[in-house]
Amino acid sequence: MPVEIPVEQWPGRVIEETLGATPAEGGTRSRVVKVGGENTLPFMLTDGEMPNPPRIAIEILDQRPKDWSPLLLEAWGDVVDDPAKWAKAAEEAGADLVLLQLSLTRDGGKPTTAADAKALTRAVLQATGLPILVFGPGQVDADNELLVAVAEEAAGERIVLGICEEKNYRTIVAAALANGHLVNGRTAMDVNLAKQLNILIADMGLPLDRIIMDPTTASLGYGIEYGYSVMERLRLAALQGDKMTQLPMLVTPGFEAWRQKEAKVGEGVPASWGDWRQRAVLWETLTATNLILSGADIVVLRHPETVKRVRAFIDRMMAK
Amino acid sequence: MALTGLQIYKLLPQTNCKECGFPTCLAFAMKLAAKQAELSACPYVSEEAKAQLDAASAPPIRLVVVEGPGHKVEAGNETVIFRHEKTFYHPPGLFLRVKDSWPLEQVKGAAKEAMDYIVTYVGMNLHLDGVAVESASGNPEAFAAAVKAVREVTDRPLILMASDPAVLKAGLAAADGTRPLLYAATAENWQAVAEVAKAANVPVAVRADSLDGLADLTEKVKGVGIQDIVLDPGVRDPAGTLVTLTHLRRLALKKNFRPLGFPIITFPGEGASDVIEEAQLAAEHIAKYAGFIVLDRFAPEMAYALLAWRVNIYTNPQEPIKVQPGVYEINNPTADSPVMITTNFSITYFSVANEVDGSGLPGWLLVADAEGMSVLTAWAAGKFDAEKIAKTVKTTGIEEKINHRKLIIPGAVAVLMGEVEEELPGWQILVGPREAVDLPGYLKLWKSF
Amino acid sequence: MSRYIATRAIRGANAIVAEAEALLQKALAEKGPDTPVAFTNTAYYLPVIYGMLGHPVSKIGDMVPVLEHAKSLLHPPPDEKWWVPYLGETLDCGMATLLAEEIIEGIRFAYGEQPERYPGFRMTGSASFTSPEFEKEEGGGGYLNGPIDDIQLRSWGIQLVDGRMPGFAAIVGAARNNRAAVAIVRELQRRNILVFLCGNVNGRSIIDQLHEEGVEMGYDTYIVPFGRDTIAAIYPLGFATRSALTFGGLKPGQWREILLYNKYRVFAFVLALGEVDDLKYATAAGAISYGFPVIADTVIPQILPTGITRYEHVISMPWEEIEGETDEEKAARLVQKCIEVRGVKVKITEVPIPVPYGSAFEGEVVRKADMRVEFGGRASRAFEYLRMVPMDQVEDGKIEVIGPGFEDVPVGGAMDLGILVEVAGRKMQEDFEPVLERQIHYFINGASGVQHIGQRDIAWIRISKAAAEKGFNLRHFGDILYARFHADFGAIVDKVQVKIITDPALHAEWLQKAREAYDRRNRRLADLTDEAVDTFYSCVLCQSFAPTHCCVISPQRLGLCGAYNWLDCKASYEINPTGPNQPIQKGQCLDPVKGYFTGVNEYVRVASQGTVDQVAMYSIMENPMTACGCFECIVMVIPEANGVMVVSREDPSMTPAGMTFSTLAGMAGGGLQTPGVMGVGKYYLTSPKFLSADGGFKRVVWMSSFLKQTMAEELKAVCEREGDPDLLDKIADETVCTDVEGLLAYLTEKEHPALTMPPIF
Repeated sequence: MPVEIPVEQWPGRVIEETLGATPAEGGTRSRVVKVGGENTLPFMLTDGEMPNPPRIAIEILDQRPKDWSPLLLEAWGDVVDDPAKWAKAAEEAGADLVLLQLSLTRDGGKPTTAADAKALTRAVLQATGLPILVFGPGQVDADNELLVAVAEEAAGERIVLGICEEKNYRTIVAAALANGHLVNGRTAMDVNLAKQLNILIADMGLPLDRIIMDPTTASLGYGIEYGYSVMERLRLAALQGDKMTQLPMLVTPGFEAWRQKEAKVGEGVPASWGDWRQRAVLWETLTATNLILSGADIVVLRHPETVKRVRAFIDRMMAK
Repeated sequence: MALTGLQIYKLLPQTNCKECGFPTCLAFAMKLAAKQAELSACPYVSEEAKAQLDAASAPPIRLVVVEGPGHKVEAGNETVIFRHEKTFYHPPGLFLRVKDSWPLEQVKGAAKEAMDYIVTYVGMNLHLDGVAVESASGNPEAFAAAVKAVREVTDRPLILMASDPAVLKAGLAAADGTRPLLYAATAENWQAVAEVAKAANVPVAVRADSLDGLADLTEKVKGVGIQDIVLDPGVRDPAGTLVTLTHLRRLALKKNFRPLGFPIITFPGEGASDVIEEAQLAAEHIAKYAGFIVLDRFAPEMAYALLAWRVNIYTNPQEPIKVQPGVYEINNPTADSPVMITTNFSITYFSVANEVDGSGLPGWLLVADAEGMSVLTAWAAGKFDAEKIAKTVKTTGIEEKINHRKLIIPGAVAVLMGEVEEELPGWQILVGPREAVDLPGYLKLWKSF
Repeated sequence: MSRYIATRAIRGANAIVAEAEALLQKALAEKGPDTPVAFTNTAYYLPVIYGMLGHPVSKIGDMVPVLEHAKSLLHPPPDEKWWVPYLGETLDCGMATLLAEEIIEGIRFAYGEQPERYPGFRMTGSASFTSPEFEKEEGGGGYLNGPIDDIQLRSWGIQLVDGRMPGFAAIVGAARNNRAAVAIVRELQRRNILVFLCGNVNGRSIIDQLHEEGVEMGYDTYIVPFGRDTIAAIYPLGFATRSALTFGGLKPGQWREILLYNKYRVFAFVLALGEVDDLKYATAAGAISYGFPVIADTVIPQILPTGITRYEHVISMPWEEIEGETDEEKAARLVQKCIEVRGVKVKITEVPIPVPYGSAFEGEVVRKADMRVEFGGRASRAFEYLRMVPMDQVEDGKIEVIGPGFEDVPVGGAMDLGILVEVAGRKMQEDFEPVLERQIHYFINGASGVQHIGQRDIAWIRISKAAAEKGFNLRHFGDILYARFHADFGAIVDKVQVKIITDPALHAEWLQKAREAYDRRNRRLADLTDEAVDTFYSCVLCQSFAPTHCCVISPQRLGLCGAYNWLDCKASYEINPTGPNQPIQKGQCLDPVKGYFTGVNEYVRVASQGTVDQVAMYSIMENPMTACGCFECIVMVIPEANGVMVVSREDPSMTPAGMTFSTLAGMAGGGLQTPGVMGVGKYYLTSPKFLSADGGFKRVVWMSSFLKQTMAEELKAVCEREGDPDLLDKIADETVCTDVEGLLAYLTEKEHPALTMPPIF
């Protein structure tokens, strides 16, 4: 019995964005990374095309992490004491992108200064040829001060500045405008809020192809279904032609998974949770895999083993 | 064009006899319209009406049930492609595969370990659903022995896997007292396998490597008089599985294509080389349209992750996960640790608990039964008011655990402060931050309040 | 456009272009075409020329085609006799002026004459121009600033773009006296507005005035002295041009986009102090092309219609005629006017009162024993009234207490109080008055130790002893309201003044006026019909959990949660144009009875992601509006009774539909159209449009007693309107019956009209 394959062609397409700039484009990256561009649901290559596979960013901190799981510290070793070495290690671990997360304070509790932020950005840019993302500590004043400095230091490199939120996006967007960067706009797991922030950022004159949206997510077992559905809805809206949702999506499964006990700790948990090492990687891997299935274009990860796992899955999904 | 509830109501007897399980004919009609009920539940519907309604009311994906004593796995009856459109109704059954070529002790051991596994997640006891026994030997006696061995350790439903109808028959006999799924009828053996399934009144899976072939088979099997069919489209790699299962779901729901309106069975282990990879594939199948998933590996951490994921995806998006109301201890609180209250919406609870946990500071977190709503929604709906807060404080016994009388209420419901003071004489009511992320900073200072 | 202004601007342009030509000829002869020309520390060449023409000038010879272009833009002055439109000509001449001025400054740089020498002058903090000569002067200095360098441009640019700085003021000329100069500049500084200085009147510049008064100038004080002639005004415009190139992502030569960028995004204005000569008119015409209005403190013709600028083009506000005792008061009014004309918004972040303020205090209760004084309640009368008044009748920030304070009221006593808030705003509408007035409750409740209940003339406010001891007094109500209305409603409110009235006579007078206004508003609400407007509003606030649901809110059908009516949505849209309430053009009415509109259908189709194809605004039977889950009531058809029942959220009992509210909610909610069931706001029951396609309120056969009781009066009025005054008694409730059999018996006994109405379906 001949069955007609139900192909779905969508009128909309996610904008393709370019992260990083090579010397020819005014930067120093050894290659650029393109994200987005799909006109189909994730991996539904019978319906449309996905010119770029979902990308993997590895999150590195500006100093030895204080509250990270010992498993992560063990996996990275001493490089966590030096962001430049860490960035290089991340590149070697198979990242497409390196995300530098700035902290509120430096050694001894002194506030991170604009000069620190510049030096850190420069060090990471020198250590890796990958395009980078730099996220501020998440406090309005500090973010604005540090990210403006970062934006200047990395002028021309097409880095991604984060995080723009509704309560604080104007300064970061202005810094991106002035220095040719992209921004990451984060909203709390809600389609309309995401769309609204995109409109607000675009209203300031930043072209849509320099905005990435971060709909926020949650870990496996801790509310992931909200993020999952919000991303599916955003992507469907984009494919149906809603311009203000046609942006690539970035989510942070690494952060979300590793804050949960399932990944973070090995003791004082039920025996039914099984082997800690495998469970930890599994938790981050499944969180990331599932979010990729709901439309993530960039996943930010923490453990090198997860990177391998997620990469292998993406490769299999993209295989023709 | 689907009929509305009102249109269906006109065709019903309108006697409100309640025998369908719904209070009125109109209520039943609306459930039929939403494709959440079957017309056969109405004993009095006229033949004429039936003919009109059948086409419109039959669920586009048939509900298939496998059973063991006291256990049941239902698959199918789904109405949407994306969970946010309504909800996914029947979580895919997770089965562990054992083979009759293994020593019986190994069969037993593997089945027992997997079937005894229980993990508690947001107050629910989660477990795998059953065992798939595969005939690797091709020998009916060996198969029957393996099935028997499995039956000795569990009452959960079974999937009997063999290509030889005689082997399946032997397995069925050994599985007496259960309603297993037979796997699988193919272009080669469908007639004989269908006969076995029909005789035993059990569901049967059909396998073909193309949708055309699959549709041929289901029509043939239906022709024998079998309604309960499960599909195996034969794909094993994750990319092909996603595409094919999506096509099947679309065909059933959007095209109302009856020959393929059945639940689907998948075998993630056949496309994976270790536990984590198998888990990735199984996770994809859970999210994207499997009805039965047969695993080849068991590890507690994998089972936990997949079971939690299954709960997540099959949560009704309009009816959020709730956590158990009560007192939650975070970071070993003592008598002088702060007391906070929030609602039992899981996301709300997790955000608050995570922040407190991450702060390293001890605290008592009271969770009020706010019908699973977030703080503001619950407040607006009157489910998180001063009375409810006071009741939670009084009934959780927190007063015996602490030596102070200070309660932190969420900043979003600052307006309740005065009323809570009235309801809880002797307590000092503190207004906490609006956002959970500001809690660690707040808790550092709370002693000064 | 004023012919006078056109004449003078065009004359000024012709003169300055001629001057530039002469100077360029001289420079070409003396220095040669290859002599480099550059402004200080910028990558934008001569920025106005670069931006407008896309032509990079790096040597004297590069200026020749620019001058030719400027000449081509010139027009002769308007004919004395033949009056023709001359706006275009004037703007062209303005642009020619700017090109000529930049040529002149460029050549001056080549001659080392820029930045301008100013012996004895020293800029505070860092400055852009550093040369060996700089140090020759005692203690450094000796120069004005000249153009702003790129680093400073980025730093200020970010603040202008992100809104920390509202805009910049280009002051040209000199104030009436030194004190006035200082007052104007301080007033601008106070509002975080960047101050650019240039020009002179009869050789005396505001720069001289400030210098004499010891006002620190430089990047650190946000006051930049560019130069003491009008030509130096090219620097602020260069700054504006470079902002557009840097932050607008625009390319050199995109002159139209650069000018529009400035009009819509750079909140700058020109303040012309003192006599305006031809060159100033010509330069101002150039500034107007950027959308920057001109405000003069002398008598000049005004150009009030809007167009090139957002609001008025040229405003005259003669210094002598500005109200105010002191220069400071006059300066405040002048600057306020500038801000209004350019549409710069004031930001207020703190509420200046002696007690803590924040939403954490919203729920506080002030008990009788802790109370210092109360207003309203049983022992006194209190009211609050917010009204819109014309712009010129509001002095922003003015707070008056008219009558005695509560000092003489005994502890625990009461007194009469009236709070009159007067607001003005270009986007303010009378319809927003009640929406804003309702906010008074929330705003006042945010003060620690203050409790506010009620609204309108049943307001009831208590101040605690603790708050009074800390110094909280009546004036602080004004401080709170002023700050919060600006902070939260700045989008529609430009100016706010508050009168706190305790004077008995005035209190009585205003109470009367307030009551008239309440009455007027009530009538207005009653008059607001769906037919009377062409716009409905959407509400997608609940899409977070009901992704395909979209409320359509019309004047006669409020949101199903009861929280948003049409006016609320209208205001919400003005305040937050990207928010959850968007206007829906009704479009063509396809069916006035059922309430089908083309615009509504189109909107809902998109907003529901294709789930809902059309909506009948006034029917439950076909294509009813969907619901999220927040409805106050559920309406469901009872086919046996040929009518509908209405069950309220508060009612836990069984209903004749065989289901309780919570079971029904699963059926009504979720954003799916389910004919026969609908979630609604309870006040929709009183609307003439309630199920009007299906027979209206007379279809109601059963209703939760909670609704009958709490809305008794309103429902009685509805029954009378429907021509059946006893209808309410004929409607059953849960105390009468909770099943169909009992319902039918009751309806028959009471002769409910639904039984004899046409079949509902």
